[in-house]
Amino acid sequence: MKLKAEEELPIIRIRSCLLVSIQTELHDQLALALQTSLMERVRTQGVRGVILDVSWVEVIDSYITRILNDIGKSVRFMGADCYMVGIRPAVAMTLVEMGVELDAVSTALNLDAALEKLDLLQ
Amino acid sequence: MRTVESEIGAILEGSISAITQRSIFRRLGGVATSPMQMLSDAERQTVQSELERSVRLFAPERSAELLASCARAMGAPAAAPLATPPPAASARRLPIESEKDIAGARLDAWSEAVRIGMSKFTAVKVATAVSELARNIVFYAGSGTVELKAVLDSRERRLEIVAADQGPGIDTEKLASIFGGTFRSERGMGKGLVAVQKLADDFQIDTRPGRGTRVSCVFRGGQ
Repeated sequence: MKLKAEEELPIIRIRSCLLVSIQTELHDQLALALQTSLMERVRTQGVRGVILDVSWVEVIDSYITRILNDIGKSVRFMGADCYMVGIRPAVAMTLVEMGVELDAVSTALNLDAALEKLDLLQ
Repeated sequence: MRTVESEIGAILEGSISAITQRSIFRRLGGVATSPMQMLSDAERQTVQSELERSVRLFAPERSAELLASCARAMGAPAAAPLATPPPAASARRLPIESEKDIAGARLDAWSEAVRIGMSKFTAVKVATAVSELARNIVFYAGSGTVELKAVLDSRERRLEIVAADQGPGIDTEKLASIFGGTFRSERGMGKGLVAVQKLADDFQIDTRPGRGTRVSCVFRGGQ
């Protein structure tokens, strides 16, 4: 099944970073499409980091965690850093209790903090 | 065409996430795509009661304002603030047949937890567990049901969740490797079950190859 163009998540370039705000229910095809276009843009545009904004995501279960972690892994293989920002307190606590690992993704409180960690703010 | 979904969506924009909005409209079914001006009184009622529930849940600080705007947009008199009924015990069985139902079940579990007075953190835990269970049903069994049962007695309030399917089941060896943490499936199933076990206050799984799977768990919260 191929994704329709309007279903793909928009990727925004900000300084030398790519930003994706996740505001829709992630599923296999969507995640794969996102991963592929992120890879392509990391390669062609020489970005230093990818930031995934999850501030609109109310529930993160182990499946979504795996998708995010896989994106992080592939971004790292390309030599860029992957940050997740805006995680909600209740979601963070739930992830801790579930004992899931998000080892391929760094976290930052918000977009500014992630840009700062990526050394992109003067 | 100005449909219920486009008009109400424009009002909720910025206050309620797109993910949640989609689940709300999905629950309204055909009504969501009907033109705003052609709603019957009964349909308008349906929309209003769904909004009452969801807006209070997901945008509590702005709910009065948002509900009034929605009522105006539908040409209905602003609903008198609902006297919140005391929470009562309830039981519901949700069919899980496709990926779409996962988000719906999650939202139902969340609002049920909030309705019986559980904390926001517990509600998110409940929603996450239901998400895992519904996902397992869709990925591995194709279809099944999730039952939500709210129990309130003098000692505690709790939510009992039963996820059942007639899928392939899990054999003893695989079950041991799932809970032993050595099982790795491509879509991460083992992790889902272990996550539910860790989140829930009580957890039980009953499964046999060819006989389907039944997971029961309980969340307790509040006195």
